Amino acid sequence: MAKSYKDYPHPAIPKLIDDLENRKISRREFLRTTTLLGLSAGAAYTLAACSKGEEMAEKAGDMVETATGTPVKGGTLRVAMQVQEMTDPAAFSWVEMSNTARHMVEHLAITGPDNVTRPYLAERWQANDDLTEWTFHLRKGVKWSNGLDFNAEDVAFNFTRWLDPKTGSSNQGLFSAMLSDTGEKDKDGKPIKRMTEGAVQIVDDLTVKIRLNSPVLSIPENLYNYPTAIVHRNFEKEGGNLTQNPVGTGPYTLAEHKVGEKSVLKRREEPYWGGEVYLDQIRYIDVGEDAAAAVAALASAQVDALYKLDLTTLEAAEAISGVKISKADTAQTGVVRMKITEKPFDNLKLRQAVVKCCDARRTLEVAHRGLGSVGQHHHVSEIHPEYFKLPDFNQDIEAAKKLLAEAGYANGIDLKCNVGNTSGTWEQDVLAVLKEDMAKAGINLQINPMPSAQYWDTWNTAPFSLTAWTHRPLGTMVLSLAYRTGVPWNETSYANPEFDRLLTNAESKLDVSERRAAMEAVEKTLQDDAIIVQPLFRAVFTAYTDKVKGYQTHPTLYHQFDKVWIDA
Amino acid sequence: MLIFIVKRLGFMALTMVIVSMVLFILLETNLFYKGDVATRVLGAYVSAEQREMWREQHGYNEPTYKRYFLWLGNFATGDLGNSLRFKAPVNDVLWGRLWNTAILGFWVFAIMIPVSLVLGILAGMREGSKLDRTISVTSIITTSVPEFASCVIFASIFVFGLKLLPGTSGMADGFDFRQLILPVLVLVTYDFGYVARMTRASMAEVMTTQYIRTAVLKGLPYKQVIMKHALRNALIAPFTVIMLQINWLLSGVIVVEFFFAYKGFGALLLEASLNQDIALLEACAMVAVFVAVGTQMIADIGYTYLNPRIRFS
Repeated sequence: MAKSYKDYPHPAIPKLIDDLENRKISRREFLRTTTLLGLSAGAAYTLAACSKGEEMAEKAGDMVETATGTPVKGGTLRVAMQVQEMTDPAAFSWVEMSNTARHMVEHLAITGPDNVTRPYLAERWQANDDLTEWTFHLRKGVKWSNGLDFNAEDVAFNFTRWLDPKTGSSNQGLFSAMLSDTGEKDKDGKPIKRMTEGAVQIVDDLTVKIRLNSPVLSIPENLYNYPTAIVHRNFEKEGGNLTQNPVGTGPYTLAEHKVGEKSVLKRREEPYWGGEVYLDQIRYIDVGEDAAAAVAALASAQVDALYKLDLTTLEAAEAISGVKISKADTAQTGVVRMKITEKPFDNLKLRQAVVKCCDARRTLEVAHRGLGSVGQHHHVSEIHPEYFKLPDFNQDIEAAKKLLAEAGYANGIDLKCNVGNTSGTWEQDVLAVLKEDMAKAGINLQINPMPSAQYWDTWNTAPFSLTAWTHRPLGTMVLSLAYRTGVPWNETSYANPEFDRLLTNAESKLDVSERRAAMEAVEKTLQDDAIIVQPLFRAVFTAYTDKVKGYQTHPTLYHQFDKVWIDA
Repeated sequence: MLIFIVKRLGFMALTMVIVSMVLFILLETNLFYKGDVATRVLGAYVSAEQREMWREQHGYNEPTYKRYFLWLGNFATGDLGNSLRFKAPVNDVLWGRLWNTAILGFWVFAIMIPVSLVLGILAGMREGSKLDRTISVTSIITTSVPEFASCVIFASIFVFGLKLLPGTSGMADGFDFRQLILPVLVLVTYDFGYVARMTRASMAEVMTTQYIRTAVLKGLPYKQVIMKHALRNALIAPFTVIMLQINWLLSGVIVVEFFFAYKGFGALLLEASLNQDIALLEACAMVAVFVAVGTQMIADIGYTYLNPRIRFS
């Protein structure tokens, strides 16, 4: 007997099943959307398997290594990664900070390397029909390391804290649908937004309801973004410092943390709610910023895995016997962004001229060895489910010259662009190619390389700079974080109410094909407004020895090692 | 002697005060440093009110001269401030790193000084001989290869090729002498030629002096001529160079410490400047200056023993 809509956590799921059977959506889109709507990953995979169509292998994507062999308990995993200060998870601004923390403090949901989001601290969730109300049912029996029970109060505390401007969390951008304008402005003239009254409601001890001002499908995926780890409800009362007071629900506890040297996590004695955990210890070892040092550490068996493998050391790592290289196609990118409130970038025609100069394909080939995919200056990647393919955006030097003349710079212009090489020297190479391209149109680009920390000091205030952005599973997530009016990470100061409306509209579409159609206008608006030059999306690499089992490279390079083991 | 030392100490204190002023102007005023310290500490997303509150609490709204004297007073009493990068008192970070560099420096000196002095003396004793030419050419070659190149060469051979030595020297699991070998090898290779050539030149010059010729013609045993008459005079120039190497080892080993991820003072100085960690940078710079001035004083005292013609006055 066919199931009715009441048998599923959301009424839209039967329609998605029909769409899958009629091949209107791919299996991957089906899995992603149904799990976001609260269907368990197991059920979603079963439904997908029952339908005709693509091979099941697609579910895991190319980057998932199937763990083979019997897990062995014990041992230490040593990973080369920068060990940074780890104070407040809500204010994390580097994935590295979160990688250490993720083994102690956990998320309500988890997005796997297959880009499918599954329940984690939340056992399940339900959304109302128009996606403006989300009910999270929390897992029972989860204990904090201080012995207290994990409950709804913890979740409400975290949402409230994230959305308090005093916290300084980028989560304000992710959950902007829970914010309301207060009408006040801070000393810098920025509007002050606070959490809408009643946006978070504790229904009972293990149930939390969140209410949004506008529909958003990606709420569960947002909950695995790296600054959204759930800290204990007394986090602030007890000092607000995770390193000094490492209370968490995760399977590990912090044994030692020395910035710039090492971080040691030890498995907790108590049983873990998530089942068996294999490694006794995880040791993050800081081998500095030199990419060659990380590979040397791997070659001499000082570490078992690298957080990331720099392009410049790819061949050296490939030559080491017993080392596996793992590649992930991602939506990680670098945007050469223009601050539209600063001269001369307040001039649309000048910005359009800059973008027209870019030969994206050549940039990908030269700056990133062709490893990745071409960008189209709207920050949505073809690996995002809602990606709408616009006509190819090609370099057009003549058009750039014409636009430049119309902008009042017929004799050319000198521009200076900052770059911090925060995720590799490929960033500077991107600018080197762009400099050559811009010269053809009469723009003299001066590249200003900066130390990475100095770069982050001015990343959102400098008129012109290249910023690296990490992967997010949905295109709408990154657009909400970076381009919506007034959000903390809006580094271009882009403020286009029409764009905000179009993005909100796309976020509210449940049907994948409808959402994709809605993204056409979103992508086109960003491209036409020419606030970023975005020539490429990067493939990223990690390396690990063949002793390491169950290791899966996440496109965001997030670490989650509870099911990893070391082969004896 | 006492007056000489007191004078030297006074000079040392004056130098450090001047350096402290320059450092303060460079790092703590907006004459050269354009960033906002409050934003750097609190992050980019805090409100303007919070930044203002932080500036007030940390005295950044006070006049520059007041802040300077406060800073100098704190510094003189051992309060070096807090490191932005390490989120810890500078005292907790700095001395451990300095100790690590001292260990590295000790082993470099323990190997480099005997080797370079012996080779330099052997070469200088028989100027123009085969041995002299071999030592001279070897010294020139090793000194002309920059440290970053020898780091790569030695790592390629011993880490990736022969798989004999660890590739990094972070000592994450405690002190491991094997991890010291490559940094010491690179530094000794780079530096020994310089000291050896200086010793050779000095020795060769001494060997041509009248008093050595007289001693030889008098029929004194050659060994006695070298050990008793030539060596002491020949060591004045190398002694200066060796003392200067202490400064070089403290802050000039950045490349080696960075390449091998050795957690030393040079790498700390680099981290402090890359991360605009003002308090740490100030402390590192002051320590480096202190060591530079201190070693110079020791060198001055040492000269008087090596050559009595140099008087304290």
